[in-house]
Amino acid sequence: MPGAIDHEGIVSLVELKIKKKGKVAYLRAKDRHQMQKLIAIGALPGTAIVLLQKFPSYVFELGHSQFAVDKELAQAIFVKVSK
Amino acid sequence: MSKSFAKHIGYDDPLEIYLSRLEGLLSADYRISRRSVALLILQEDKEILNLVQEKEKTHRQEIAGIIEEAKKHFSHPLNYIISLCRQKEAALISGQVMSVKKNTKNSLRSIVSRAMMNPFIGGPFLLLVLYYGLYKFVGVFGAGVLVNFLEEHIFSSHVNPIMISLVKNTVHFQPLQDLLVGDYGIITLGFRYAFAIILPIVATFFFAFAIIEDTGYLPRLAMLVDQLFKKIGLSGRAVIPLVLGLGCSTMATIVTRTLPTKRERIIATLLLALAIPCSAQMGVIMGLLGDKPLGLVIWLLVIIGVFLIVGFLAAKIMPGELPSFYMEIPPLRLPHLWNILRKTFVRLKWYFFEVLPLFVFASVFIWLGQLTGVFNFLVKIMEYPIRLIGLPSQASVAFLFGFFRRDYGAAGLYDLKKAGLLSGNQLVIGCITLTLFLPCIAQLLMNIKERGLRLGIAMSVFILFFSFAVGFAVSQIFLLFHLHI
Repeated sequence: MPGAIDHEGIVSLVELKIKKKGKVAYLRAKDRHQMQKLIAIGALPGTAIVLLQKFPSYVFELGHSQFAVDKELAQAIFVKVSK
Repeated sequence: MSKSFAKHIGYDDPLEIYLSRLEGLLSADYRISRRSVALLILQEDKEILNLVQEKEKTHRQEIAGIIEEAKKHFSHPLNYIISLCRQKEAALISGQVMSVKKNTKNSLRSIVSRAMMNPFIGGPFLLLVLYYGLYKFVGVFGAGVLVNFLEEHIFSSHVNPIMISLVKNTVHFQPLQDLLVGDYGIITLGFRYAFAIILPIVATFFFAFAIIEDTGYLPRLAMLVDQLFKKIGLSGRAVIPLVLGLGCSTMATIVTRTLPTKRERIIATLLLALAIPCSAQMGVIMGLLGDKPLGLVIWLLVIIGVFLIVGFLAAKIMPGELPSFYMEIPPLRLPHLWNILRKTFVRLKWYFFEVLPLFVFASVFIWLGQLTGVFNFLVKIMEYPIRLIGLPSQASVAFLFGFFRRDYGAAGLYDLKKAGLLSGNQLVIGCITLTLFLPCIAQLLMNIKERGLRLGIAMSVFILFFSFAVGFAVSQIFLLFHLHI
């Protein structure tokens, strides 16, 4: 999908490949409530993240914990992929 | 913890300035430090804002002004900015004291965990859990072996006769005798029901549920069903009250409190009342349809169909915030027996305080109904819809009693089956209608308590008509296709 990946190698969690490691780059929450949820699970810039599974929900390792979120929340997390 | 260990987190300069300005304005006592209050104000914590509104009469305007000013200063929401500073500080501390050992990726634990979250392995695994945990342990052992023992060897042969003779010798007023120890008396029905039938069933269920809960299986199940549940207006999180509903829907209605939005709580309550049969009721239905595998399959398909269709329609009609799913997936663990026992005990205790009064209440209801003749009248009225769905009018009593004790209704059908009054088709139609039919009185009262009088009554009226409509539809389909089960 052109445009989804920008020049710095930052992609949304939805576009990330499974097993790819990276760090949370920024959040693009659609409202306060969504932001609050992302903060609650600790998805803050700089935190290490590995995508484990995409279906039926998005499962990822964030720091030392694992979380499952739906597509809407996964779309709000942008990840800088590690080389 | 001693105060000297409290660490002061420093925030960015502008934020610190807003904080100290806010602290200067706060004059009331909040029992936490002013700095904490100021931080919560900047994060627009609802509870604290209400409290501040109430307590700071003189500086209310200025406080609101500072919040607006601070929000304008930053391009990101303030709770985000504050969380970032805290995370930086936490990372600094943990970096000094923690060392991370690289995990071997393919430990047994992570293999099992991945299998549980695999959409193809997860389904059959769920069936296994339901079969052994629910059917074998709760159904056969709890509802069968334990209930039989307590009902027949403790209550019917010891407790009830003693209480009956005690009451009859001390109270000489017939209606009061009936209220206490009559066929539907507080002691003979209410207490016996609570201790001999409900206690063993919910105790085994809570025990099994605690094991499942402590292994960390439920979040994995939640993540598997989330997409399906979104279609019926719920998120994967709702799997917890719904699974609990297979044990006792009344208790599960209380647990809908864990769902984040009002919309989800209403939909979950409706589905629990309509399409989730409790363990007591399922036991009897297995008995009724056990020798008719095809009938059991039809019953299951209709109930699942109703669950999905009604959930889908409810989600279409209901306004409100759409559900969003996020859940921590904790590592899988082997549960500790002591924790399981303690959890089971605490839940049983809580359950009894909430539910036992309702059983007593049900006994009083039936007593009043019989005393005034309302009961016989209701049985007569029920005969019309009963005949409409093609059942003999004797089934009317079973349906009315099903409302007061869900499994009692099914047990009423059992008697009719033994008397040879029901064909295979009628049995299937009866079981379907009774499963969907109004929940037991305990659950109705809980629905009203949790969802309010208007919504509680509205749900019940809907369920009353809907259950017979489905029964009627199934009977017509049987006729149309000349099906005989």
